Amino acid sequence: MSNKRFSLVLMMVLVASSAMFAGTVSGKVTYTGTPAHMKPIDMSKEPSCAKQHPTPITSETVVTGANDALDNVVVYISSGAPDDGQIPTQAITYVQKGCQYIPHVLAMHVDQEFAIANDDQTSHNIHPHPTVNIEWNLSQQAGSPPIKKQYDKPEFIPVQCNIHPWMHGWFAVLKTSHYDVSKDGGDFKLPNLPPGKYTITAWHESYGTQTADVTISGNETKEVNFSFKAKPY
Amino acid sequence: MTSLKPMRSIGVTFFAAMLGLLFVAGFVTPASAQDEPAVGPKPPVPFRNTESHVGDITGHSADGKLPYRRYCAGCHGDYGDANGENAVWLDPKPRDFTIATFKCRSTLTGTLPTDQDLFNTIGRGLTNSNMPIWNTFSKQERADLVAYIKIFSPRWEKEKAGVPITVPAEPPVTLESISHGQALFAKLECWKCHGLHGEGDGPSASTLTDSKDNPIRPFNFAAAGNDSRFKCGSTNQDIYKIFMTGVDGTPMPSFADVIQPNDAWDLVHFLRTLQVHRKSRENDILMAAHGVIPPYVEKKTGSLAPAASANEKVPGGGQ
Amino acid sequence: MRMWAQSHLCQKQRHVISVLAAAFACMFLVLCASQSASALPAFARKYGLRCSACHESWPALNNFGLKFRDNGYQLMNDRDAPIWQNPGYWPITFRITPIWHRVSSTQNVDVYGPNGEGGYGITGTTIQRITSAGFDLSGLDFHTGGTLEKNISFYVLPSSDPTGAFHFESVNARLDNIGNSPWLNIRLGRFELNNLLSEKRTLWLTGNGGIYQTYHFIPVNDGNIFGQMGDNQFGLEYMGHSVDDKTRVSASLLSSNDGNVNLTTGSNSYSGFFTFDQAFDTGKLGMQRVGVYSFAGEAATYYRTLGGAPIPGSGIGNKGFSRVGFYGQFYFGPHFDLNVVTQHGEDNAWFGQGYGNAVATDGNGGTTCAGPAGSPGCPPNNTPGSTLPTGSRAPTWNGYTFEARYVYSPQLILKAVYEAERMSQQATPGTAGNLGNINNYSIGFRYNPFMTSRAGFAYFGEFNEFQQIGTGPSNSLGNATNTSTSELLFGMDFDF
Repeated sequence: MSNKRFSLVLMMVLVASSAMFAGTVSGKVTYTGTPAHMKPIDMSKEPSCAKQHPTPITSETVVTGANDALDNVVVYISSGAPDDGQIPTQAITYVQKGCQYIPHVLAMHVDQEFAIANDDQTSHNIHPHPTVNIEWNLSQQAGSPPIKKQYDKPEFIPVQCNIHPWMHGWFAVLKTSHYDVSKDGGDFKLPNLPPGKYTITAWHESYGTQTADVTISGNETKEVNFSFKAKPY
Repeated sequence: MTSLKPMRSIGVTFFAAMLGLLFVAGFVTPASAQDEPAVGPKPPVPFRNTESHVGDITGHSADGKLPYRRYCAGCHGDYGDANGENAVWLDPKPRDFTIATFKCRSTLTGTLPTDQDLFNTIGRGLTNSNMPIWNTFSKQERADLVAYIKIFSPRWEKEKAGVPITVPAEPPVTLESISHGQALFAKLECWKCHGLHGEGDGPSASTLTDSKDNPIRPFNFAAAGNDSRFKCGSTNQDIYKIFMTGVDGTPMPSFADVIQPNDAWDLVHFLRTLQVHRKSRENDILMAAHGVIPPYVEKKTGSLAPAASANEKVPGGGQ
Repeated sequence: MRMWAQSHLCQKQRHVISVLAAAFACMFLVLCASQSASALPAFARKYGLRCSACHESWPALNNFGLKFRDNGYQLMNDRDAPIWQNPGYWPITFRITPIWHRVSSTQNVDVYGPNGEGGYGITGTTIQRITSAGFDLSGLDFHTGGTLEKNISFYVLPSSDPTGAFHFESVNARLDNIGNSPWLNIRLGRFELNNLLSEKRTLWLTGNGGIYQTYHFIPVNDGNIFGQMGDNQFGLEYMGHSVDDKTRVSASLLSSNDGNVNLTTGSNSYSGFFTFDQAFDTGKLGMQRVGVYSFAGEAATYYRTLGGAPIPGSGIGNKGFSRVGFYGQFYFGPHFDLNVVTQHGEDNAWFGQGYGNAVATDGNGGTTCAGPAGSPGCPPNNTPGSTLPTGSRAPTWNGYTFEARYVYSPQLILKAVYEAERMSQQATPGTAGNLGNINNYSIGFRYNPFMTSRAGFAYFGEFNEFQQIGTGPSNSLGNATNTSTSELLFGMDFDF
């Protein structure tokens, strides 16, 4: 049997099994301790952005919610589920609006195309700082069509706008189809997991990573919670 | 005429033999037969033979090793990782060839430069840095060096160099084009870093770092005298390429997607006027207008919009 | 800095062989004991470049170093002006060379034996080879040079001989790139002539091998103290070059006093030195450079006297001299290069008959004599009424220098020099046609065990043999034999 045909059969089996035994891992990301105070951003040098924020926004290095919830944590399967190589088809967009990156962390699959849009009345430059992927640095002016890009190696890539130095964000390029970013009170959800033993990793830009092991045996939902120790600076 | 007793000839014979020996040795010694550096990390990539092609010259990495160690390794490091013994004293830091990110390219941001780009950079040097003007080398030697620095990054194996951007013919310099260039300079936020007068003192200037987190200054157009040159050349074509392709590894982005070619020339013309101490056609025209750039009146074509059709001002314009 | 030893030679081939064996043995040991390299560290420190960037092997320049020098010790970037340097930076370099030294030459020595008075004493002289050896020092240089401001350069080199007697080898200031043109540079002071094969940057340190004979050759009994291209001269130099330094041109107006201070010669004797050279890119072979030079001028032969003694600075009666020749630097790939200098020289017949500087000066190539002009050891003075011996002619000669270098790596260089000076016309008819002819050859190596931009350090070894016809000790028949001197050096050459 040729390798190609074999892998095709295997893939069909996997797809079928995942449909039949779709486990889910869900949970909440919290913090303990006192997070650093997020300073308000002075956008007075970019009036078109400043006027979009009647009350100044703060930097988004640590975004918290009620009940010690921690947002913007990337939760993903780091081992146990071989990457089936399927690149998600849904369009994902990284928007520059009000001189902020929305979302603050954009998670994506390796080789997945994503768009970068500028909804502002000013020009930005998008300057990701990868170390294993290829570095580029593009200017995007108001009204320009979205820039389409992709990365071919897994990496957490900081993104910066040099023109507006307060703008910071992240690209989380992952070699798995199972990932989520905690939001709206630290919630995350990893659905459609076939039975198996998994290692789940949670990554926060300032607090580092945590891992948890979980076993999915069938059509069930397992709860996994992560708690990060906040750094006071 | 009489003659005194002649000199012994054994010495001459001996010298001739030595000369012959040295001469032969010069040809038979392989270029790689140099003593390896005693310190430093192991090479991150195994040595492989790479080539460069510049015009009709083919450079060979094996021949580049000797000149690399002679001229380059003190800063760029024996293994191309920018860890030469001088690197710590330099600002800005030398290029790290293991990353294969290069400032001066004719190709789009994120792509590898062409061999010709690297060849030109060696011969031109980089202003505001310690990279000298290596224009005394033979062309072959430069091509060999280009081939040699490719051994340090696997990118050169996996990727092809980018395609050079097309630089359309330059339209004539007019006060209007300078004025439009100034509008673009404001619109594209160039001034945020470079400052309103190109003196490198824009509001974001102090925050800038390069891709290795070292502080970096935006280019000061007004600083140098009549010999003022840019990082990647001194002609109008060079300026065009610099902002269209970006200066990779630095905060300077590529504007290739946002500026129409003809608008780009207007920006070039304006940038020239920022080089206040340098003689240029642009400065002559500005001088004739008593140094005042008139405010730009937007044309009906809306040339700032990227979707605009090719500007009719320039014959043969467009991509 | 060079050895001024007058020395003598091994007759026996066996000596040459054993000496060479020792040289190679030492070289081997040095290579085995090495670690990781070296130039004028003052410049290297300023620009953060390794020595090898400018020097083929220190102190000899490569093309990049030549361009740096031609630009007035500037890389022509924005870091040239000293205002960019750390305030603690002072562009000074010490160079010292401790050595083991062996000199051997033929000399007249007394013969002792029974004399006519029934005793024992000196009965005559004979020619013997005298060999001396031991640890030695070849001098000390303080190099200081650089820029005072962008495009204003200076160079000062106080240099000491091994006894600690100092003189100013170089002292000059230079206006560079006047009007932003590399074609216009002016230098004033005492400087080395724009010789493509630089003697001051020679890789050699022995007495006879440390200078290029072709640059210094003067016929036997010739009274012209000037015409020495190898000595640093006082004057004004124009120099121009293309941006990439492939084309170089220079013209200097020099005082015909051989670089001596205090105006001890005359008031109106000047000479001019012109060079032009052009480099060609020959692909895989490398850059080839060829050039020509011409050196012509006048120097005094007549000194006014008081009480019969010449008055310093009163020289008149100028007579002419000329040196013209060809330079070539040929690369045969990255490892081997051959440097060639030729010369056709001519001195006026007056010089040929020994007239010249009749004043006892300190020298540095000049004449030293104790008594009045014309007394033993002192040149005659072309005073009124002097006539040339019948048939006197202008002495002419041809010189050839070949220096081959094998650059194994930037850290190790093997080198060899052969020089031949050949008289073509003697001043006095009837003189042996080959009187004064020179054969000079040297071989050696330099090894820099490490290569950085902070200091230079080299192990070196060299062997020189020098022969000149008819200038050696007299034999039993009273006829002059040939000068024969050999010299061997091993040591460390360091600069910081």
